[in-house]
Amino acid sequence: MEKLLRTPWFVPLGEFSFRLDPLGLVFLAAITILALCAGVYGFGYMRPYQGKKSLGMHAFFYLIFVLDLVLITTANNAILFLGAWEIMTISTFFLIIFNDEKSAVRKAGFIYLIASHCATFFLFLMFFLMAHAAGSMSFDVMAQTGFSPAFAGVVFLLALAGFGVKAGCLPMHIWLPHAHPAAPSHVSAILSGVAIKMGIYGICRVLWIVKVLPDWCGYVLLVIGVTSGLMGVLYALGQHELKKLLAYHSIENIGIIALGLGVGLVGRSHQVPFLAVLGFGGGLLHVLNHSLFKGLLFLGAGSVIQKTHSGEMDHLGGLAKTLPVTSAFFLVGAISICGLPLFNGFISEFIIYFGLFQGLFGLPVSGVIFCSLGILSLALMGALALACFSKVYGTVFLGKPRVDLKESSRGSGAQKGICGEETSKWMLVPMMILTGLCAWIGLVPQTVTGLVFRGGAYLTHVDFSTLQLEQVLMPLTLVVLIAFLFLLIVLCLIFIRRLLLGGAPMPIRETWSCGFSQVSARFQYTSASFARTIVELMRHALFFRRQGGQITGSFPGETRVASSVHDASEEMIFGPGLAFLNNLSKRLNRNRMRHTQLYLMYILLFLVFLLIWKLK
Amino acid sequence: MILMLSNAFPVLFHWLILCLLSPFFLGVIAKVKAFFSGKVGPSVFQPYFDLAKLFRKKCVYSHTITWIFRVAPAVVLAVMLVFSLLVPFGRFTAPVQFSGDILLAVYLLALGRFFMILAALDTGSSFEGMGASREAFFSCLSELALFMNFITLALLAKSLSLSQMIGSGFSLSFEGFDPALFLVIASFFIVLLAENCRIPVDDPETHLELTMIHEVMILDHSGVDLAYMLYAAAMKLFIFSGILVSLIIPVRTGHPVTDTAIFLCGILGLAVFVGIVESSMARLRLNRVRLLLLISFALAFFGLIVSLWRA
Repeated sequence: MEKLLRTPWFVPLGEFSFRLDPLGLVFLAAITILALCAGVYGFGYMRPYQGKKSLGMHAFFYLIFVLDLVLITTANNAILFLGAWEIMTISTFFLIIFNDEKSAVRKAGFIYLIASHCATFFLFLMFFLMAHAAGSMSFDVMAQTGFSPAFAGVVFLLALAGFGVKAGCLPMHIWLPHAHPAAPSHVSAILSGVAIKMGIYGICRVLWIVKVLPDWCGYVLLVIGVTSGLMGVLYALGQHELKKLLAYHSIENIGIIALGLGVGLVGRSHQVPFLAVLGFGGGLLHVLNHSLFKGLLFLGAGSVIQKTHSGEMDHLGGLAKTLPVTSAFFLVGAISICGLPLFNGFISEFIIYFGLFQGLFGLPVSGVIFCSLGILSLALMGALALACFSKVYGTVFLGKPRVDLKESSRGSGAQKGICGEETSKWMLVPMMILTGLCAWIGLVPQTVTGLVFRGGAYLTHVDFSTLQLEQVLMPLTLVVLIAFLFLLIVLCLIFIRRLLLGGAPMPIRETWSCGFSQVSARFQYTSASFARTIVELMRHALFFRRQGGQITGSFPGETRVASSVHDASEEMIFGPGLAFLNNLSKRLNRNRMRHTQLYLMYILLFLVFLLIWKLK
Repeated sequence: MILMLSNAFPVLFHWLILCLLSPFFLGVIAKVKAFFSGKVGPSVFQPYFDLAKLFRKKCVYSHTITWIFRVAPAVVLAVMLVFSLLVPFGRFTAPVQFSGDILLAVYLLALGRFFMILAALDTGSSFEGMGASREAFFSCLSELALFMNFITLALLAKSLSLSQMIGSGFSLSFEGFDPALFLVIASFFIVLLAENCRIPVDDPETHLELTMIHEVMILDHSGVDLAYMLYAAAMKLFIFSGILVSLIIPVRTGHPVTDTAIFLCGILGLAVFVGIVESSMARLRLNRVRLLLLISFALAFFGLIVSLWRA
């Protein structure tokens, strides 16, 4: 079941102790696949920077980062884990600030660094509390210790606070929408694909260590999942920048994962192992799936940005003609992330839905209410994600170019000859691999269900072989059969269409625009107008701002309209909160005594106090 | 749960019913509407003639389109064909039924919708963009209502399979006039109107591009592509009516011909009813449609409360 490796380490309380277990395996799978793909993509993506920036540093931190992710998922000792955790934070920081000449990038990097370090405080507290109770820093010793319910609850909340920041759960997600767009695209891919999953891994590890948690913990996790998911996708709908939109979608998917884990935890605390394994297994499968399709989407976005030098969706359009292969890959990513059949997103959402519906039958009324909430929000997330990705794909890849690409890239891109042709093979092959894996899991899910359900059983602390998983595996088999049938029918219909149309070429005309001719490309629906109806309906939940657009007078002149969606937790919680802290520290600063000797005296007094306290 | 993919015969028979009968009910709706406006109206077989005409025609394409526009009609039609396999048509049980097939059904519909929206955006026309945006918006709400209904039905039927939820074993709930079921039926009827773009949500008759959702999205389709799209729309109406009729009339006499007759009469009655609704009310203003859909959600939600109350 699990492999352990122990060697001594000179660090106090520390030990070089590693474990390989079904939980870590799921994350390791995601890390290795995506790190490889994103790394290869980086070769192509960083080419324009060659000779201008030190790529060696970037590669160094990339490798350290990947190695460190492996270390985190295999660490069996709290000190080792925390050390690896810190190295991850720092190496990620250097990866994010690659374009450090831009102030926005530096700002994003610092927000990330500060948020991560604040979160690490909770982690230290949590691990030391557990180690104190268990008498060892080793995870397996901790796992054998029985914690009291109140203590378990505190540990759970600390884990949520500490790991939730890294995972990007609402409302602690504020670093994420800044950092993802600032980083180079392959770094965004691995950040979103696996780095934020380390938060999820941490939560899972704590769920594994603390075997008995109070009932409310599962519901808390479920509600966090629901809020992160819904708000994440709503924020995403309001974005105009491609990578920022994808960043908010990471928050949505973290919500879906947390929803799955929440269902699992509810099942575990109500002693319904089948439900627990479904929830945990679905959540873990979504971890793997999200790393595949979100990686794919970020890499696709990177290709778009490299070609057009713009991530602003309302400036793009018609890229399916210039980047046919990339656009096809991006479509697969979009279908997967919407959870539509044929690709992997559907499989994990199916398992989570299945778990939620099982919860309807197997749980008391309170559980039924929460499960209904989960089902409804998952449905709404799916529908909103569909709206969001039809918006993205429709504005970026379909239609006509809104701004002349050659015109806009003449300044910077023309001399590199990267205009009007498909991206390099270095960038296409990784995307192809990820696309293939998305389709593979979508069409042959039996190959991964064993992996994730073993992980789920491991988290539930039940024996995998005793579980009656046919109940969910058989529907999955049928889903796959139907998917193949569907593909067959599509092919048949296309064939029939070809028969009916004959071989002659069809007439090509202008798009029908209700009698107008010579319609400018700027008449097209933009991403902002596409999402407007939904965003306006939700304007009480979102900070939707719209300025201008009023037409005055009989012969109106030029007018402008600007609309944007702001992050509520940034503007309402962290903005004012940090401003308050800033004020407070300024006030303290004013009263500070300006003599070093006084400080030395304070330190001495404190030491004396400690001495007395200890010797008492 | 129950694996019935034993042979191809039931599948083909299901498709035969679907393909042969689905356009008829569009004709019935049009006839009822014509009757109410004091006209004779086209024959009830007019949709068949229209489809036959379109299947013989060639397509005209815009030069902005990509392969997505060409593939979308096939995907949309294929979705309806596969979706029909999960739905029992009266006496004819669903050829494919398993625990969780409702999820597959809803997400297949979403896949079709995704391709339809993309095809609309592919043309680069602002009108089609408008329709696509509305479709995406309203489908969020109608999907929510649909899932609410499914939760209630799943709780009542203790099953996750559509066939169990609306099938024969479920008729017992009508004894004692279970209010939950009535709420679900009312809610599902609104979902049916919204999903199939009927009045009061959308008007399939007008050809003023600005007012529509479904019609405006297929503005640029022509010939065989348009025929696929229209056929798929007819099938969708038929399948949704089939689900609703199975919910309302779960009667099983045991005699195959009588059962089938009852089922088809049910759908006919529903088509007449939809025709009456369309004749007696105007299309809602676009920003009121969401209220209608939220009513549908609320009805289903009350259905859940009632069923929890009993449980």
